[in-house]
Amino acid sequence: MRLSYKNFIILFSVLLIVTGCSGGDKKESNTITVWHWMSDREDAFQELAKRYQAETGTPVKFELFAPSESYSQRVKVSAQTSTLPDIYGVLGEKRDFASFIRSGYVADLTPELSKEDSAWKKSFFEKALLINEFLPENEYKVTPGIYGVPLDVMTIQMVYNKNLYKKAGLNPASPPRSWNEFVEHCGKLKDAGIPCFVSGFGEIWLIDAFASNYAMNIMGEKKVFDTYRGTVPYTDPDWVQVLGLFKQMADQKILVDGAVTMVNKTSEQTFANERAAYSFNGSWCVNVYKGMNPGLEYSAMLPPAFTNARSMKVWGGSGSSLVVNSQSPRRDAAIAFLKWMTAEPQQTFLAEQTENLPAVKGSLGKISPILSEFADDVDSTTHPNIYPVHENPSVTEAFDKGIQSILIGEKTPEEVATEVQRLKEKELKKSK
Amino acid sequence: MSLNPVEFEDKLQVNYEKIKKGTVSVFVHIFLIAVSLSCLFPLWWAFASSLKTQQTIFNDLSLFPKAPHWENYVEAWTKADFGMYFSNSLIYTVTVVIGVILIASMAAYAFSRLQFPGKNVLFLILISTMMVPIPGSIIPLYVLLNKLHLVNTRLGYILPQINAGLALGIFLLKTFFDDLPKELEDSARIDGCGRFRVYWHIALPLARPAIAVLAIFNILAVWNEYLLAMLVLNSKNLMPLQRGLMVFQGAHVTQYPLLMAGIVITVLPVLVVYLMLQKHIIKGITAGAVKG
Repeated sequence: MRLSYKNFIILFSVLLIVTGCSGGDKKESNTITVWHWMSDREDAFQELAKRYQAETGTPVKFELFAPSESYSQRVKVSAQTSTLPDIYGVLGEKRDFASFIRSGYVADLTPELSKEDSAWKKSFFEKALLINEFLPENEYKVTPGIYGVPLDVMTIQMVYNKNLYKKAGLNPASPPRSWNEFVEHCGKLKDAGIPCFVSGFGEIWLIDAFASNYAMNIMGEKKVFDTYRGTVPYTDPDWVQVLGLFKQMADQKILVDGAVTMVNKTSEQTFANERAAYSFNGSWCVNVYKGMNPGLEYSAMLPPAFTNARSMKVWGGSGSSLVVNSQSPRRDAAIAFLKWMTAEPQQTFLAEQTENLPAVKGSLGKISPILSEFADDVDSTTHPNIYPVHENPSVTEAFDKGIQSILIGEKTPEEVATEVQRLKEKELKKSK
Repeated sequence: MSLNPVEFEDKLQVNYEKIKKGTVSVFVHIFLIAVSLSCLFPLWWAFASSLKTQQTIFNDLSLFPKAPHWENYVEAWTKADFGMYFSNSLIYTVTVVIGVILIASMAAYAFSRLQFPGKNVLFLILISTMMVPIPGSIIPLYVLLNKLHLVNTRLGYILPQINAGLALGIFLLKTFFDDLPKELEDSARIDGCGRFRVYWHIALPLARPAIAVLAIFNILAVWNEYLLAMLVLNSKNLMPLQRGLMVFQGAHVTQYPLLMAGIVITVLPVLVVYLMLQKHIIKGITAGAVKG
């Protein structure tokens, strides 16, 4: 080797010294640090940080950790070493959020939200705050209060392609209002050679959302929650009816080929490329479809109700929320920044830049027509994270996988209902 | 001229052998070409996709886009700050690879040539750390780095990676040193070389193929590393190249053409290094560098 060992070791030492001496950015003590995982909003956040510093003189540093799995990992390890930033988001289920609160890592924002006749609180959609709220005597044993604020809201609904509607001789201004009408429209679309319905049913949370919409419609919230409590069996005719809708979809070939194992990204491509007339997707799809096919003509609608006895409820509420670190020395400054960030001008800016539904009502007038259609149904939303009672995850999984079996013609609704009920009883015995 | 039966049979045998050899060769080549194509296809697909637009990427499935958008590369490079991430990754890769080679080769030489109490137990403990992946030690690692004030520093990112590469490095090089003839070293020692000079001037140059294998393994690992960076680093200006690719992957929207252009940009240097070290790598592997 031509390189002498002395030179080799000198080179290595120099590299270590150079790299060792260079740390991160030198932060000013009043800099507010925000951790987030939303890489598609990074540019908009950086712009808002600049604007805030120009307005108030307080520097804000957004630090991106993506994808969300890496972000969650980082937040967890930072919590264990008390190195959380001033503002961050807690991803996962409500029980994860609750454990952060109980460990003292999240500030209670209720006093701030209630100031000046609750002006800040009132600016949000009511549903948007629910996900961050813990009610008295909650199952997580968290002190009642609101612990986070949303940056946006979302709803998971149905969308339909207006062009394909026209091709099938249907009126784009009259989407189906009932399940039967939906089935009828699908028949006409199929006759015109147009595949009817696509959704990422390979991801079971989408199946869960769709089935839950119809369960709430067919039997009402109370009966659904009683099932979770174990007082109503899954073999109840109403549940069999919910499962029967999927049997009908399978029998009448309403779903496009492969939808049972399709991930949502592929389902989005299918709808954006006009290879299906309907899709079941979240309001984030506006941005997705815009990227894939800017000329796509579509509208949002609630899933067509099976019965008019109860209104349809869809999953929705807060999209992404941020919380304030209760141990932060800049706690008040962090809250002030969150107030500014969720004020109307900033929310409008974020909605324009990212095509997400704003969390505050005041920004609604300035969003695109298609987003407004999603926004119109925010009041019809619900979400498992705000349910008073929760189903055992293994039962939910068995239920959703059972639906997949029905869709591929492997099982009947009655068989799935019996199997799920058997598992439910087993889980109930375990919990006693 | 007619052949007698024996000559005819011999000729027939020769022809049969020739045909058999030729047929086998054709099938082997077809198989190898198919394997090569299946390896190259994803790379070419990424390259072809990098020249499309967000709209055409879902409609145009051709492998040779009619209207290539070369500007995607410029956009990817500027939008994701690839210049900064590139130099960061270069620093991390060079430092970690040199660190691993230096420390692993010295340790491997010691395990191979020196006699000391507990040598075998120590070696077993050391190589057993190969079974502990970085994700499995994330929390204790973060706590340790935090206590040492190494979070959000380059050193905090480099040292765990050197550590992670040592077990495999020591294992590879020890097996290589074990096979080197001791006589070479003995003659050097007779000529007055100390232990370190024997290691540096005799053993290390002979281990070049094994070092090439170790280098490429570590270059690939460090160049593609992302999980540890997300854990240890906060500041954008310290992040490695993989962070640049994340810019194009949103929670719901992925900018595929720019992402593919970014992937091509990140793959190219590793490809070049691999081609440069290819001769040594093959030699290293065939010479027993990876034998157990």
